[in-house]
Amino acid sequence: MAVPWRRLIGWFRRVFGRRKVVRLGFYGPPNAGKTTLANKIAIDWTGEPVGEVSEIPHETREVQKKERVVVQTKGKKLIMNLLDMPGIATKIDYEDFLKHGLSTEDAQQRAKEATRGVIEAIKWLENVDTALVIMDSTKDPYTQINITIIGNLEARNIPVIIVANKVDLKEAKPEQIQEAFPQHPVVKVSGLKGKNVDDLYEAIAKHSR
Amino acid sequence: MEIEIEFISSEVLDEKKGDEKMRFILEKIKENKILVIEESLSPLEETMLIEKTMSLIDKKFPGIEVSTLKERMDRGIDRGIRDKLIRFLGGRTGGLTVVGPSKLIKRVKKEPHKILLFAEKKK
Repeated sequence: MAVPWRRLIGWFRRVFGRRKVVRLGFYGPPNAGKTTLANKIAIDWTGEPVGEVSEIPHETREVQKKERVVVQTKGKKLIMNLLDMPGIATKIDYEDFLKHGLSTEDAQQRAKEATRGVIEAIKWLENVDTALVIMDSTKDPYTQINITIIGNLEARNIPVIIVANKVDLKEAKPEQIQEAFPQHPVVKVSGLKGKNVDDLYEAIAKHSR
Repeated sequence: MEIEIEFISSEVLDEKKGDEKMRFILEKIKENKILVIEESLSPLEETMLIEKTMSLIDKKFPGIEVSTLKERMDRGIDRGIRDKLIRFLGGRTGGLTVVGPSKLIKRVKKEPHKILLFAEKKK
């Protein structure tokens, strides 16, 4: 019953409501570049970042928000709440953090916080209007995590835009992402270099509810 | 070193719903078993499994590897109608789930029609 109600509420909002604020969720596995992309958008339009970026996985361990980001794209005004989610994973081994130079105590603490972050990101699936699923174009996109995230969004009838990120890297193969998930729009961007971010705004404006 | 793989019929899980199903799977995984289940977990079940796994992670148990092959949806009109009816009545029409402890499963390579699993037990 949740989906028809969501549609009805969305319709009333569109017809009678003021301009809708899109709650835009940034989903994906760890180190896909979610925070880098969210920062690019937030800095461009508000002058402030959403969160810290790190080479160490699970840098984002709780949902980071930037509210009422107003983006102008081809004559359209897009108002968004950016919701940068912790990376979703099925395993978090503190020993992996030791390889990045963390002490055992810090690594164990980071792992503990990261497990809570994953749970939080899953719970937030209920609270986004549109989801960007961010994938690293240099890696195999056909992973269980990507499939699970997209399957959950589809089951909740939440519009999905797949972001093939890191296309500035020589080994990037964004076409593999398009082949793996032909049912959703794929936008090829580099969050780090800001490449094609305007295309992403257009996709958000077009596909958001 | 031996690795135990348990093949589980969908009948075993039919009567287990939600939490009970996840508990059943995770209890076996914590016994260091790799499970091959004769059904595909739904996306919502997959996230439920991830949530439950996260709450169990500690120094000795860093998590799981899971991979699913989905039910077929392209079997022609006759079988399509039959499969839809079975699903409508709460049944399953195929699919497969492989799940196990990440300490044992070194890598999973997923393709649309097959799963390659590389397991290794440290001596």
